[in-house]
Amino acid sequence: MNNKNIKTVASVPKGSKKSVWAKVNRYKGFYLMFMPVLIFALIFNYLPMFGIVFSVTNYNGIKTPDFVAFENFKRMFFEMPKFWTSFQNTIVISVVKLILTTFFAVVVSLFLNEIINIHFKKVVQTIIYLPHFLSWVVTASLFTLILAPNGYGLVNSFLVQIGVIDANDMIYFLGTSKWWRITYYVINIWKETGWQTVIFMATLAGMNSELYEAASIDGANRWGKMRFITFPALANTILTVLILNLAKVMNLFESVFVLQNDAVLDVSNVLETYIYYQSFNSGAIPNFGYSTAVGVFKSIVGCVLVLICNHWSKKVREGRGIV
Amino acid sequence: MKKKLLSVLLATGMIVSMAGCGSDPSSDGGGSSAGKPEEITILVDGTVFTKPNAQKEFIAKLEEKLGIKINVIQPDHDDYYNNVSQIFAGGDWPDVVILSSTYYSGYAAEGVLWDMTDAWENSELKQRQEAFNGAGVVEGMKIDGRLYGMPAARGNGCVTYVKKTWMDNCGITSVPTNYEEYLAMLEKFTTGDPTGTGKKTYAVTAAGFIGNEAPYINFLPEFYQDAYPSFYKKDDGTWVDGFTEDSMKKALERLRDAVAKGYLDKETLSNGTGDCRNKFYSDDFGIFTYWAGTWATNLKTNLENNKLSGELVALPPIAEVGAYLDRIPPVWSITTQCKNPEGVFKYFIEPMQDGGEVQFLWTYGVEDIHWSRAAETIYAGTEKEKVYTEGQFHGRDNLENPGTQYTKAHIDPALALVDLAGDPAKESRPAENTASAQLFATNSVTAVLVPSTDVMTQYNGDLTTLKKELIAKVALGEMTIEEAYAKFEKDGGADWSKKIVDSLNAK
Amino acid sequence: MNNSRKKITVFSVINGLVFIIISLIILVPLWKILVDSFDLRTAYGMKMWPEEFGLDGYKHIFSNVTLYRPLLISVLTTISGTILALILTTMGAYVLIQWDMPGRTLFANLLLFTMIFNGGMIPTYLVLNGLHLTDTLWVVILYPALNVYNLVLMRNFFEGIPSSLFEAATLDGCSPMQTFIRVVLPMSKAALASIGLMFAVSYWNDYTHYRLYIRNSDLYNFQMKLRGMIMGSELPTVSGNATENTLKNAAVIVVIVPFMILYPCLQKYFVKGVNVGAVKE
Repeated sequence: MNNKNIKTVASVPKGSKKSVWAKVNRYKGFYLMFMPVLIFALIFNYLPMFGIVFSVTNYNGIKTPDFVAFENFKRMFFEMPKFWTSFQNTIVISVVKLILTTFFAVVVSLFLNEIINIHFKKVVQTIIYLPHFLSWVVTASLFTLILAPNGYGLVNSFLVQIGVIDANDMIYFLGTSKWWRITYYVINIWKETGWQTVIFMATLAGMNSELYEAASIDGANRWGKMRFITFPALANTILTVLILNLAKVMNLFESVFVLQNDAVLDVSNVLETYIYYQSFNSGAIPNFGYSTAVGVFKSIVGCVLVLICNHWSKKVREGRGIV
Repeated sequence: MKKKLLSVLLATGMIVSMAGCGSDPSSDGGGSSAGKPEEITILVDGTVFTKPNAQKEFIAKLEEKLGIKINVIQPDHDDYYNNVSQIFAGGDWPDVVILSSTYYSGYAAEGVLWDMTDAWENSELKQRQEAFNGAGVVEGMKIDGRLYGMPAARGNGCVTYVKKTWMDNCGITSVPTNYEEYLAMLEKFTTGDPTGTGKKTYAVTAAGFIGNEAPYINFLPEFYQDAYPSFYKKDDGTWVDGFTEDSMKKALERLRDAVAKGYLDKETLSNGTGDCRNKFYSDDFGIFTYWAGTWATNLKTNLENNKLSGELVALPPIAEVGAYLDRIPPVWSITTQCKNPEGVFKYFIEPMQDGGEVQFLWTYGVEDIHWSRAAETIYAGTEKEKVYTEGQFHGRDNLENPGTQYTKAHIDPALALVDLAGDPAKESRPAENTASAQLFATNSVTAVLVPSTDVMTQYNGDLTTLKKELIAKVALGEMTIEEAYAKFEKDGGADWSKKIVDSLNAK
Repeated sequence: MNNSRKKITVFSVINGLVFIIISLIILVPLWKILVDSFDLRTAYGMKMWPEEFGLDGYKHIFSNVTLYRPLLISVLTTISGTILALILTTMGAYVLIQWDMPGRTLFANLLLFTMIFNGGMIPTYLVLNGLHLTDTLWVVILYPALNVYNLVLMRNFFEGIPSSLFEAATLDGCSPMQTFIRVVLPMSKAALASIGLMFAVSYWNDYTHYRLYIRNSDLYNFQMKLRGMIMGSELPTVSGNATENTLKNAAVIVVIVPFMILYPCLQKYFVKGVNVGAVKE
């Protein structure tokens, strides 16, 4: 009976109305299972989206929003000279950061997977996850100290000791435009690489070890196995993680905010911090219409990025996008 | 699920109807009779006792004294203004709300706040404040001659503390009275051996070359002196942008030279206030401009805790500085949705500064919870043990944060606007606390509330960000003063600045 | 054969050494927090050992009765939130691997869209407030429960389950729900453990939702309270405290500890390939 049913579904030609309903009927259990997810999305994500209309108004949260058409967008694009710089900074900083942390997470996962001693592996894994639990504020104060341009700074003291720099010429890593970004990337790698391996390690744990055995019999060495078996197994996850994160690149805020200062704004100011300062420094109550307009712009950019990459991923993954 | 869907529909309906809310302030707040309100709702930040700190008992006591039922809404202190925005957008406003100067002037302009000018002018509260030199602070809160909120105390500001041991070690016998003498002290603190241990020291550090909020320059007054990087009203009544004046260029020179010579810590750029305090306690620098009053005691205790001398000299403002700056205090405002604003003013706002029982409650809290006169030993058996005899006034151990004593409730006794009868602080407050508070009170001027204009809302954010960037770059020597002002011109700063000045003068 | 074994040993030693170095790089900054949490003296710089050892910071936190209730709330919301989130995530992910299901692409795009567009702070508040969720623990449990990012990752894991298993289950007459419970979940322990961990950590560390949607401090969780204790001293006029710095660092450590206890329990799911050998194709 069941057997027959599957065959029927498979053999129904596409496009016929009746067959679609038959299919829907066949999948009704799944629709039911999807209901809770849809309801959550509707309530918590779609209902608040009525707020997007604020982007064409001036709204300070008190009076009825004033319709101003595309004034907010015009102001954002043409009247604020730092807007495009911040936009550029956002893209560069978050994409480089994304690529670096993912790259290191993959490399670490591959080698972590090769550790034979289970206890050692457990200890290492626990340690590399720890920085994720520090808030960004705490992380920032730690690294400000470690990178301090004086005797307290471990890094500068070390550089002086090995004779790379002079004691009177210490590098102010977080206070110089030249050094800020690279420092920012390093801190991000330190903090988030370990946590990103969680998902890669889980993927590896789910892998079929028979493949390894087969490879061993074929005489593949460790490098060969890593390259031809482990890495391809991760590829799917890596792609997914990269694309999913692209949707969020424009949201970069806290990590930059806590590490930046007045002297490095030219290289560090991203959209979110720019908007924050614009509102905070203005000495006036915020215009939610304007911040919504910026939000809409950010969303559209994120959307475009995801669509492009999803299109590309469909080619790589036999017609399947990331979702 | 049906119920949920129903509430979703309701929510949508609510949102649609919400658009009409709060736009009609004139209909409420009528009623000229100033009868006592039965029940009021207040929206407050963390400066009023929180729940773990016996808010319930405090409010119960207040209700008993005032004869009004009080509902308290108290969001998280750090996110207070996001919550305020949300609550006002929701349309269901509280009767009374605490607001910072930014929200005070913004909300006043939107017609959210009840105009309490007449109520105050004709009140006994004003007379009490006048008798204690407090009325000027209230006058300073007027916007275009109208008052929309009542400060409960002065805003407080910073005074410069100098470590006495550092002065002794460097052979400085008298406190500097002008910038030249001040520089001589910086020189000795930097190149000499003020700690007696030979370690490298700075004379001064601060949290930022320029502060994050008005009055901007209060952490480094000696370097800024008469310069002010933002808008202020000249004696002739016209507004100017201090950043474009020559005094600012001189201030930038002083900052740049101080950093170049190592007097002023480079890390002033990235320091938070916590970093500064820790560096101070670690004896890395010797001159710290920080809050007057209670903090004088805190700095002292922390230094002593680190086995250093806690003796600090509160420096009277040097000649070039003239006076320290008082922050604009937060205020208690009544919203226009309040049914009986006169009554709330008379029976809730006024008593807060009655110079008697209610003010005492707002200043110290509830007897035997927050303070006591009973004989008791606090922190028995620890290093911090303190023994109080019968009748001796003292703050009790903090309920939420054991190990610290309560020093005040909402009103800082050192900053009150009305004389508090029988204020125990007069007998028991630590000497350094009183000294710094008095020094500040006699040597300070209140920062001027800058009204908000549409042009300002639009450009001041970018303008201030640009100014801060330029100040930091000049101070660190990455840019000359000429280059900075050229960039100011080029990036549109000069243009914005002029537009805002014009809009302020047109008001 | 002998030769290759030797190679492996050399590799393992080097690999081990590299990870020891990595661990040290991670631990050095953390060491400062640990040392400071035991040090009664406040210092700005880094120290190898506490100058004046003391447990005051920890005593402070654990003797503080007002922290017990928040701790309980943290545990409750973390457990219930993680379970709910896992249910939504796994069911959603399972539906999304039904490639032939009519409307699948629509559903997928509907979810993806929520990741990119949002209504903003005030509209979100108005909706939550309209549903009477604000000022209740429901808001911190329900609102973050649907996480599309994690849902897609979960779907990625499910994709790896051999399709022969589904066919077998269908042949045995299993309904979608039965297949889900009998086949999908048992096959995905590593995925459940890792994504569950990610949810648990975000529920445990959550304070943004508490700050925006909860005004009754009786409902604060542990993170909120500790933040309050740490940030409280930043109020310009509130009294600071002699052990301010010690307390602050102790609080940072205390927040990490539950994870250090929880993690080793979960680890067995990461180490072994769970679905290995479950299918003989």
